[in-house]
Amino acid sequence: MADLVKITVDGRQIEVPHGELVIRAAQDHGVYIPRFCWHPRMREVGMCRMCLVEIETPRGTILTTACTTTAAEGMVVHTASDTAKKAQEGILEFLLINHPLDCPVCDKGGECPLQDQTMAFGPGESRFVEEKRHYEKPIPISDLVFLDRERCILCARCTRFADEIAGDPLIEFKDRGNHTSVETFPDLPFSSYFSGNTVQICPVGALTASAYRFKARPWDLLVVESSCSHCTVGCRISVESSQNHVLRFNGVDNGATNQGWLSDKCRFGFEFIGSEQRLRTPLVKVEGEFREASWAEALDVVADRLGAIIEEQGGDAVGGIGGARSTNEDAYAFGKFMRTVVGSNHLDARLDDGLDARFLAAVSPRAKIADLDRAATILVWAPDLKEESGSLYLRVRHAVQERGAKLVVVHPRRTGLDDRATHKLTYRPGEGPALLGELAGGAGDYAKVLETLSLGPVVAVVGRTGLTEQPQLAEEVAAFALSLPDAKVLPFARRSNVFGALDMGVAPTLLPGRAAAGDSEATGHLEAVWGPIPTQAGRDTMGILQGLVDGDLKALVLLGADPVRDVPAAGIARRGMESAEFVVAIDLFLTDSSELADVVFPAEAFGEKEGTITNLEGRVQKVNRVVTGPGQSQADWTILDDISRRLGKPLGFASAEAISKEIADVAPPYGGISWELLEWDAKEGAVVPYGEAGQPVAYRPDGVDREALAAMSRNPESGAFALHLARTLYDDGVLMRNSLSLHALAPGGAVHLHPADAARLGVSEGSLVEVETVDASVRLPAVIDPSLATGVVYVPFNQPGIPSLGSDLSVVVAAGEEVSA
Amino acid sequence: MSLWPAETQEMAKKLIGRYPDPKSAVMPLLYLAMRQDGYLTEAGMREVASWTGHTPAQVQSVATFYGMFKTERLGDYLVSVCTSISCMLLGGDEVLDAVEDETGVPHGETDAEGLFSVEHVECLGACGGAPAMQVNYELVEGSTPDQARSLCRWLREERPEAVNTDAMQEQFGGRRSFDWAITEDNSAVGPYPAFGPYGTLRRGDT
Amino acid sequence: MGMINNLRRGFAVTLRVMRRTVFGDGLLTTEYPKESRQKPERFHGRHVLNRHPDGIEKCIGCELCAGACPARCIYVRGADNPIDEPVSPGERYGFVYDINMLRCIFCGLCVEACPTEAITMTHLFEMSVTNRDDAIYTKNELLVNPEGIPNHMFTPEQDPMVNLDELKDADGWMRATAPSGRAAYEGIPGWSASAGIGLRPPERGQAGAEVEEDDDD
Repeated sequence: MADLVKITVDGRQIEVPHGELVIRAAQDHGVYIPRFCWHPRMREVGMCRMCLVEIETPRGTILTTACTTTAAEGMVVHTASDTAKKAQEGILEFLLINHPLDCPVCDKGGECPLQDQTMAFGPGESRFVEEKRHYEKPIPISDLVFLDRERCILCARCTRFADEIAGDPLIEFKDRGNHTSVETFPDLPFSSYFSGNTVQICPVGALTASAYRFKARPWDLLVVESSCSHCTVGCRISVESSQNHVLRFNGVDNGATNQGWLSDKCRFGFEFIGSEQRLRTPLVKVEGEFREASWAEALDVVADRLGAIIEEQGGDAVGGIGGARSTNEDAYAFGKFMRTVVGSNHLDARLDDGLDARFLAAVSPRAKIADLDRAATILVWAPDLKEESGSLYLRVRHAVQERGAKLVVVHPRRTGLDDRATHKLTYRPGEGPALLGELAGGAGDYAKVLETLSLGPVVAVVGRTGLTEQPQLAEEVAAFALSLPDAKVLPFARRSNVFGALDMGVAPTLLPGRAAAGDSEATGHLEAVWGPIPTQAGRDTMGILQGLVDGDLKALVLLGADPVRDVPAAGIARRGMESAEFVVAIDLFLTDSSELADVVFPAEAFGEKEGTITNLEGRVQKVNRVVTGPGQSQADWTILDDISRRLGKPLGFASAEAISKEIADVAPPYGGISWELLEWDAKEGAVVPYGEAGQPVAYRPDGVDREALAAMSRNPESGAFALHLARTLYDDGVLMRNSLSLHALAPGGAVHLHPADAARLGVSEGSLVEVETVDASVRLPAVIDPSLATGVVYVPFNQPGIPSLGSDLSVVVAAGEEVSA
Repeated sequence: MSLWPAETQEMAKKLIGRYPDPKSAVMPLLYLAMRQDGYLTEAGMREVASWTGHTPAQVQSVATFYGMFKTERLGDYLVSVCTSISCMLLGGDEVLDAVEDETGVPHGETDAEGLFSVEHVECLGACGGAPAMQVNYELVEGSTPDQARSLCRWLREERPEAVNTDAMQEQFGGRRSFDWAITEDNSAVGPYPAFGPYGTLRRGDT
Repeated sequence: MGMINNLRRGFAVTLRVMRRTVFGDGLLTTEYPKESRQKPERFHGRHVLNRHPDGIEKCIGCELCAGACPARCIYVRGADNPIDEPVSPGERYGFVYDINMLRCIFCGLCVEACPTEAITMTHLFEMSVTNRDDAIYTKNELLVNPEGIPNHMFTPEQDPMVNLDELKDADGWMRATAPSGRAAYEGIPGWSASAGIGLRPPERGQAGAEVEEDDDD
């Protein structure tokens, strides 16, 4: 804690930390100083001059900007003296000289800091009668953002955000004086993954979002706070709707997670909620065709056919996949449904993400996101965070850029963090274990890296860099990371609430509350509430799908999962679902997977239901309802409860909140967490294990075993390339596919090659390349990518119209035939 | 990959080597790019961005802030007339009017032929010799409107390969800053042009 | 005695009026609907959406009327103006404009809120409907035709009660409370031209009724 100093603001003495900015100190003590350019999460710049205050000095008072002045002992500040007021009025009059005052048609009108502060601090009437500056009205500076240069007051919030926070300085001031305007470079749009934030922080309506353009005015928006479920960070957002349509998301400043920022995927990924394609009634397949059915009819079909399979072949013949896109309450209901009603241990929330459930749920010691702000060194051996988790990327970037933390990035390809990395290690997929072994040994070039890494405290973000990487590698990396001084691990997986679903026991090896399946104490504790649960070993997602192919399993329950699209081995997923006797899907859309189901129930989506979600650090946050689901859609838990009643073993849930109370009873780490707590006291969320309870499983990977690592190393077959298959921010996932403005931004299929390989194969940028794996063979345009190692190709996963290449390491690459022009 | 000839690339490397961070070399490199193409093209700015590690938008921001980075093609002779206070008081505006009238080019523009560009500038640092003007950044002081006209006529008729302060001052200039100041051997007007004589040099090269 | 006096005093007004109305010719009852009387200048009748003199719509879809409405009876949605054939000046136009006349309390706050004088109130008040849906006036009913005539059920020929001349004096209260109602704005036309109505005469201001609009230089 910094030393406190006493300063006087408007005659009131307050105590603030030494060096605190006057504007922030005053605000913390209830004195609002008007501002445009100053943003609490960005560096101060003193550009707009709106925060002029009078400060007493030995040589009389001076007018100075409160956002660039730091508090010092005995400072006397007047924010509302006649001089200060006159200065503020003058600045506002200047700012309004060229402002077009087209507030009635401006999307910002009604929530505009310039409007508000003009009303509160402005001169009341304008003396300016001359012609204002004119520019072409809104020009698109990216696919998602419009720029109206007439409205701009040149506060530089957007350009500073692009440079300081996002690291994509693609917009800058152009020209000088009266002609200054914010511009992109010609033909180089502001295609940042974070461009939407500039819309939110713009203090006027100069930057507006194309998705929200003229959709509503602020006063007819119904707003609830919620947590984004596009990735596992759980950014706090406000969900804003009008006339029962969700119209936009805005970032909410939760210090523990997103600090107000959102990636564009989160900000604009709301369109699927109101999509016309949403399911509205239950569908039952009759003779290969879906037919709309009543709930009673659809439930009867499920009860008959699923009931018969359970009756004849036992619950063990049924698998369940999904839960990662649901709330904790829904996932818990799913787990309880599978284990008690169906009587099966074959359930999994991971769609072959490849990481061990116990590692994801219970690695220990586990870092919090906020630990990044204290870390001396950050190790990122994980997917490209910029592509998979924008907010986490910003937090790492901030720690390195603003606080000088050291950063080591290990990835087969360039990542968004490379420009800030102290060390960047690139490797061929398959050779990760060998690299880890050498890094742990610290020989040669790695000595320097190891030296950097031995600066504690260390936070390691550990995940699977690509879908062809050895699944066990992450645990070895974690083991290595935990051997570093004062180290903590942040396990990384992307799929929305996968951590919550695992905590709810939606995995073959886990029971609710991070307990190991088969652990007698945990089982006893659970059975006291649930009744008897099956004891046989369960299968994970790939096991279930393979079991369906082999005929060991007969039926499948899908809860908001699209294995055909999301599992890398798409072929097995499709064959498995086709060979199943009976598939019931609970889904938002008819996906490639639910198309193959026999009964599909329409589910409520994000924004339509209440519940809690758990993020990658174990932080539980509330999600809220603001619109009603389309048609007859219902919450997942209601549907599962209805099915359970028809099967004669009612789950007995009364409401989602009742489920959350049962979770708190059954899962010790969740003990004490209630909706009431999350809504009133724990505004930043509650981190599990909450309170004193601890968690039953503390999974601590052992030290690095170099022999095991050597055995783990793999190489592609001779003559083949090593495949790096990784996700991109925008892809062809079902939520993205139904968010039209984002779906268009998916990069599309491509084969990235090292220049030397390209030259060897006779391939140039854009020419077609034939790639063939055991799962698929496709022809894709080539991209020359010097950041790859030789012998490696990178193909983005799940792109529109491109079949999955599967998770096999080897890929045969050849120059494709040129398409005749 | 670079658009620049090897010699220019050498120069760029040398310039970047003078700074601890390549980003600091953006302004010298912009001069280099300008010398390469005669003015700053989009391609030139992209090139500078790739050398310094900025984004092209950042380079554009620098390039458009400073008046002497030209983003449009200039004529062979850039006539800059000072209209700041000292020159204004001593008839700078009239000189500008005369130049505009004689060349037929309004300030801030270039004629269709590509011979003249006219601009008005803020302070050439020659208040003592006001009104001051420059041709391709070569200073002429104390000109009357008539002298300015004949200067323009001379440029049009003679089309000199390169212009030079002393010669122009003698023919078309009037009182100079240091004619009446304390004589010291620290002439504000060096013997060498501070900047490349853009158009004329290019013509001389070919 | 006292009682009779009291009665006489109490009925004095009644009797005086009776003498004029029952026995005299000063009958106060207007025989509506056979005849209708001139409505006051500040009458709050049903709304219209106006057009500029060139026929383009005044409404820009800003929803300020909906925001100001205390009965929440206005529903507006804006949309991007088509570039080739703009519906209104500027970027945005009112793409949906509904008023639920059953909910409307005719307070006129929408007129006051409107930044473009697009919505005004007329003297029309006969709005009988036979079902609730018809009480929701859409843009179809609200928007005046290109000649500036409100889209009313009946034309003046069909229905003598429709006196469209009165529209020229409509919104008197609005004009009185607008800036042009201040003495400082005296003589300055404060109400923009509307199709069919044209520019209204300059206001005489609030300085006093006796002030005439002469020698205004």
